[in-house]
Amino acid sequence: MANEILEEHINKDYEFGFTTNIDSDTFAPGLNEAVVTALSKKKNEPEWLLEFRLKAFRHWLTLPEPNNWAHLNYPKINYQDISYYSAPKKKPELKSLDEVDPELLKTFEKLGISLEEQKRLSGVQSNIAVDAVFDSVSVKTTFRETLSEKGIIFCSFSEAVLEFPDLIKKYMGTVVPYTDNYFAALNSAVFSDGSFCYIPKGVRCPMELSTYFRINATGTGQFERTLIVADEGSYVSYLEGCTAPQRDENQLHAAIVEIIAHKDAEVKYSTVQNWYPGDKNGKGGIFNFVTKRGICLEDNSKISWTQVETGSAITWKYPSVILKGNNSVGEFYSVALTNNMQEADTGTKMIHIGKNTRSTIISKGISAGFSNNSYRGLVQIRKGATNSRNFSQCDSLLMGDKCGAHTFPYIEIKDKTAVVEHEATTSKIGEDQLFYCKQRGIDNEKAIGLIVNGYCKEVLNKLPMEFAVEAQKLLAVSLEGSVG
Amino acid sequence: MLAEKTNTAQLIIDKISATAGKVDFIDNDKLSKALMYLENKGIPSNKHEDYKYCNTDAVFKKEFKNIEQKLNTISDVKNYKLKDALTIVVVNGNYSESLSDKIILKGLHLTSFSSLDKEQKQKIGTLANVETDAFIALNTAFSGAGFYLKIADNEQLQIPIHILYVSSAGSEALVNPRNVIEIGKNAEATIIEEQICIGTEKVFTNFLSEKFVAENGKLKSYTFQNEGKNGFSVNTNQVSIERYAKYDNTTITLSGSLVRNNHNVVLAAQNCEAHLNGLFTTKDNQLVDNHTLMDHQMPNCESNELYKGIINDKSTGVFNGKIFVRKDAQKTNAYQSSKNILLSDDATINTKPQLEIYADDVKCSHGTSTGKIDEVAVFYLNARGIGRESANKLLLNAFAQEVIDKIEVDELKEKILTLFENEL
Repeated sequence: MANEILEEHINKDYEFGFTTNIDSDTFAPGLNEAVVTALSKKKNEPEWLLEFRLKAFRHWLTLPEPNNWAHLNYPKINYQDISYYSAPKKKPELKSLDEVDPELLKTFEKLGISLEEQKRLSGVQSNIAVDAVFDSVSVKTTFRETLSEKGIIFCSFSEAVLEFPDLIKKYMGTVVPYTDNYFAALNSAVFSDGSFCYIPKGVRCPMELSTYFRINATGTGQFERTLIVADEGSYVSYLEGCTAPQRDENQLHAAIVEIIAHKDAEVKYSTVQNWYPGDKNGKGGIFNFVTKRGICLEDNSKISWTQVETGSAITWKYPSVILKGNNSVGEFYSVALTNNMQEADTGTKMIHIGKNTRSTIISKGISAGFSNNSYRGLVQIRKGATNSRNFSQCDSLLMGDKCGAHTFPYIEIKDKTAVVEHEATTSKIGEDQLFYCKQRGIDNEKAIGLIVNGYCKEVLNKLPMEFAVEAQKLLAVSLEGSVG
Repeated sequence: MLAEKTNTAQLIIDKISATAGKVDFIDNDKLSKALMYLENKGIPSNKHEDYKYCNTDAVFKKEFKNIEQKLNTISDVKNYKLKDALTIVVVNGNYSESLSDKIILKGLHLTSFSSLDKEQKQKIGTLANVETDAFIALNTAFSGAGFYLKIADNEQLQIPIHILYVSSAGSEALVNPRNVIEIGKNAEATIIEEQICIGTEKVFTNFLSEKFVAENGKLKSYTFQNEGKNGFSVNTNQVSIERYAKYDNTTITLSGSLVRNNHNVVLAAQNCEAHLNGLFTTKDNQLVDNHTLMDHQMPNCESNELYKGIINDKSTGVFNGKIFVRKDAQKTNAYQSSKNILLSDDATINTKPQLEIYADDVKCSHGTSTGKIDEVAVFYLNARGIGRESANKLLLNAFAQEVIDKIEVDELKEKILTLFENEL
């Protein structure tokens, strides 16, 4: 029975696996200083940014490729085989949506992000402002004008570099320096675009801000960069979604997200990651190597990460919070689902530096098929972080006997007033739970959906409304009949 | 970096080769592999994931620059003997027949490494693979003349065996005690292993024990470590247990400048169970690192771990436990718990409780918590006329009691309780 159901799920296809035929302007594969320079030229970047890129690139060359410390198995990546820039052939400066390539718009419609719709509804009700990143460039940011009335800056990273160089200079690389790790160095050298967001003092952003990432062209990698700055007393909720076409090759996605929260500011960052996971034999799929980190720079600030990870062949991602300000709060809520041959090594780091800092980690892993799903996290209480508090809970659910679920928590405490708790469990769906449901006339599949949904509820509840619905659907699709 | 690592290992090899006894009870193939491994991998530093919080390379560089191997002879161990136990004495890694009790117990066979038969020789090194860990390699290459202890099938020993490892040196020294303990089918035994360091100089003890528990055998073992300031040690226990067998270990660490315990248990057949308990108290600049592995290879097994630490002054406590459930090990029940109290602002605790699971029908969980002495509890006692200091003592005692209570040898339990209270 279990096997049949599993079989059915394994045969399930990736529903976002289409490609869009639009003209694109793509660099030939290869990586050297000339490529980095050409990329910078292409984007009309100022000198200082080119220098930053070159510094990062030179540093990257000195780094050894990460040896397999993570619980992941993937073929060696040939960095010379990747094209580092691909853009839809664009007309200079898009003024309205009408100017956007209709093929592109269709793509977004298929993805359920109707830019048209958003436009039409604008002014009528509060909605989501979207920055859509297609391959390497941001194609359109909606609601920019509405937001700018409040002083909020929300635009593509390239535009921000030209229009707000001071802000970019001040904050870029302060949370994730290019020396941070191999993939951060690579991204710093070749990042193509991304989003920039600045919330001024005391402003509560009236709508959800959202970025959609889509890899389309073949043979390319995507390297975007997101920078969010929340000034004193501000609040923003930020969403990120990602999909990619179905291809036989592995594509590389190496992104950086930096968040800076000033005094009393709060940033909520939610991700629904659904990159193409590869087929059931593990062919193709995205290699997702992402460095996400936020810093609670001043007192009473708060950063919250929520993620639903269902895609990617390889996931390597540790959204972290540095709790520097006193009384600051860090949160990490995660659901990671792996199926077929997928592998995920994900978790978080909570670095407590300020006094009375608090952090919460709730991680729910679900593994099915032949996949491996690992939680890897660090809770560090530095000396002087008095009365710090951490609670971590990492649960794993195994479906089928060919998958693996692992937990690797690191807990380092250097302050006696800290209270740190960690608990983890691994189990499968209980026969008694299923029996209970069936007895009440709920069939096997629905019962499993119910139980898994309940299992993930703590995390899904943290997602903004629009996303929660999507995430629930995504889980349902990815899980359909997969539990036994 | 690599060259630097090799240097430490090379230095050790050079310094101790001259005085090391001949290791003729381990076959040449293993010996050369051990030396090769040691020379290639070196002594692990904190760059090595398994030694992330226990930089042994740095310890050797700092504390054992001048290994001269001037070992002392010991003529009397009366003060350390337990009344109702059979004592076996190992001095600086070598089994001492003259200091040990005469073995006249039925079913108990003790053979020194120098007079092993072929079958016994083959058993050495089967659990401790020289190519997995530098300290196993180091011990193998320079193993002391230890002993092979066998409890015959169907024998239930009534009195505990007390193995006393005494190290004493007149200069910086490295000793490598080693033994093999085999519990036969349906046999039962209680073994106490106590480590002390009584010389005037620092001694690094690289202890290695291989323990086999055959079908339906039961081994209760206690490890008591109280080596004081001059004691540095890495203690490796490689245990394998068979069907219906039961292995129990309680490790109490009261002192020692560096204590690293590698306790690896292989649950090699169905329906067996293993329990590891530990209690450590640290002060000054001590480092106590408990590293455990529960390797569940077969279905229907059970394992349990409970480790508690009290960390004071500038000392560091480490707990790294791994529950490893292999593909076939369905219906595994594994539990792990680590609780720690920090008493000082300069104390550090690092814990890494890991689960690595490849079977779906299992119940595995771990929990770890760290905190200070509960102020509410102290207030409760204060309100009843108990001063702050006594209240703290009382609470720490209660905290430790859970582990100390696992000791079923009364004499040992009382001894440890007294010493523990003095430590506070």
